[in-house]
Amino acid sequence: MPLWRRLLMWSLLAGALTLVLELARPSLDKAHMALAYLVLILLASARSGRMLGVILSVLCFLAFNFFLLPPFHTFHVAEPMDWGVLLSFLLTGGVAAELLHRQRRAAALADRRTREINRLAALGAESLSVARAAEAVKAIERVIRTESPVREARIRLLPEGRLQAGESDVPETGSPEQLEAYAVRERRFVTRGVDGTAHIEGRGALLTDVLRRLADSAEVLVPLSVGDRCLGVLRLTDPEGLRFDAPQASFAHALVYYAALAAERVRLEGEAERVEALREADRLKDALLASVSHDLRTPLTSIRATATELRSEGDERGALIEEEAERLNRLVTDLLELSRLRAGALPVSLDINAAEDLIGAALQRVGGLPGASDVRVRLPEDGALALGRFDFVHSLRSLTNLLENALSHSRIAGSVEIEVRSESGQLVIDVLDRGPGIPAGDVARLFEPFFRTTSTTPTTGTGLGLAIARQIAEAQGGSVTYRPRPGGGSVFRLSLPGGITESTP
Amino acid sequence: MTVEQTLTVLVIDDEPHIVRAVRNALSGDFGRVLEAGTAVDGVDQAAARRPDAVVLDLALPDRSGLWVLTELRKWSTVPVIVLSARHGEAEKVRLLDAGADDYVTKPFSPTELLARVRAQVRRARQAEMPGGEGMLQIGDLVIDTAARTVRRGGADVHLTPTEWELLRTFLRHMGKTLTHWQLFRSVWAASAGDPQAYLRVYVAHLRRKLEPDPVRPRLIITEPGVGYRFEAPG
Repeated sequence: MPLWRRLLMWSLLAGALTLVLELARPSLDKAHMALAYLVLILLASARSGRMLGVILSVLCFLAFNFFLLPPFHTFHVAEPMDWGVLLSFLLTGGVAAELLHRQRRAAALADRRTREINRLAALGAESLSVARAAEAVKAIERVIRTESPVREARIRLLPEGRLQAGESDVPETGSPEQLEAYAVRERRFVTRGVDGTAHIEGRGALLTDVLRRLADSAEVLVPLSVGDRCLGVLRLTDPEGLRFDAPQASFAHALVYYAALAAERVRLEGEAERVEALREADRLKDALLASVSHDLRTPLTSIRATATELRSEGDERGALIEEEAERLNRLVTDLLELSRLRAGALPVSLDINAAEDLIGAALQRVGGLPGASDVRVRLPEDGALALGRFDFVHSLRSLTNLLENALSHSRIAGSVEIEVRSESGQLVIDVLDRGPGIPAGDVARLFEPFFRTTSTTPTTGTGLGLAIARQIAEAQGGSVTYRPRPGGGSVFRLSLPGGITESTP
Repeated sequence: MTVEQTLTVLVIDDEPHIVRAVRNALSGDFGRVLEAGTAVDGVDQAAARRPDAVVLDLALPDRSGLWVLTELRKWSTVPVIVLSARHGEAEKVRLLDAGADDYVTKPFSPTELLARVRAQVRRARQAEMPGGEGMLQIGDLVIDTAARTVRRGGADVHLTPTEWELLRTFLRHMGKTLTHWQLFRSVWAASAGDPQAYLRVYVAHLRRKLEPDPVRPRLIITEPGVGYRFEAPG
């Protein structure tokens, strides 16, 4: 309803009131009449605003004077005291109208705040509950579009690192993509004027401030960051210029947080999927290795059993078959081990172990090889127990391979030695032999799979022993190194983490 | 005729070649070798025929070998020797913790399998006999479990309480591989303060006191990644 019609309506009501008061004038006091008018003015101000309240106050003031104060039907006031009544009446009406107006404005503002908060809460719940993170991003775009003075709101997510390349040094003239890249890389707001020129906001500018002075900009790019990660960019567009008032700006500021969180959720969801895929691949790899292992070893078992049978019946060929089956078994074991290492599927469990336990187990493993019982072991001279923190099974494999290697190359009986000590936080186990040593030209390739030195007799080993020894040691933070032994032969050093000595109690 | 020839062994395996290999390895020593091709049949036969030992393959067509083991252990203490193609130590630990007495990995040598089965049968029969406390002589080592003394070559060997408890656990299960966890549970059952990580260190100390050459142990044998076994003498 336009103002003049409301004014007319309230004026008629004031006229009616004046008529009633004039009829009842002999039995009424002036104060009663003033109060009746005031009630009317308050009602009018409350319903139709400050302006109408003030106008009505003046009208009532005139009517009061003309009809109800003696001398009647003139604007002349006989008693000076009546002026006081009239003026305080006018003042009260005006003040009441103003107070009501303020109250209404505060209520309207509170109402708008409530709606914004409800919207944000709903948005939070929505973006948390949607099944896919990408839908949350869409929901937030929708809310920004409806709740902000923009024509278009688009969130672009960046697959990590994609826009990190620094190809846009002059963003003022760059393409939209270059500008986005720049905004993300530099974490700065980029605006584009209605005339198309780009402007880079200073580092550390506040979004609310930027939004409030956008009137000449058709577009603003807001980088979306969570923690120290920038996950994407929000593009707000209105070809006719973006106009944000203060509450809209701070609401938009809050929405940007939600947009960043949604972007983070998309990233985490992708990561979770990747992890799940990796785990699945891991499981398949394990299953494959297990089934290959089973399929290769089961026939070997029957070959070996048959060979033993042949031998027990006096057929000497049985012994040869047994030997070859054993060689095949070693090759299968080595190949499986190597593929496990290559696949990174080697679980490592680090425990405190004694070096002599490890050496004892290794000597037991190589027990069948000629010369094994003559291996000399030199433990730390002070009688202390040399300890390390390493994976026993893997380290045993490493040490066994080194020992096998030493025993198979040693030509002088009793020349293979093991030396143990703790050295700068490492448990060091040296395996020394008096074999031919490694030609200088071969040292670099010594630890490659299937590498054989020119000095090796072709039948020994699978050619994988040293490669496996080194890779296993490295998988648990240790190492295997080679150096020539003074006086001829080789020294292979197995270093394992966590070398400490403990004196015997 | 050895004692074993009156005994029965049950082979639970579905691969004919392996069954044949096991039969050949054991039939010379055992009076009867029974065969079961599935897990369910294996459990049924074990209940009906009460064998003196079970050789169990882990890969079976119907249920897992672990299931068989769990079922058997509900009512029987029959020695179970597991055949496994996987060389994963975690699996061996799982089997031993589930109640297996020993395991043999494929490809096994028939001689080795026979030795393992015999050892477990002997151990089971000894366990049935009363006693256990008393004097035990192994080479120049004399262990008196009643008096809690150990002498080596005539000289007293001092053991700490933890080492003694460890030795007692080994003696109680002589010939059986005990997992790290089983050992820890048995030795440290009373006091929870000592970290499990030091179990291996205590074994190393005990070895130094009992074995002539700690890097060539004859008594306390390391089962890499699994645990330790106290070798029965003789």
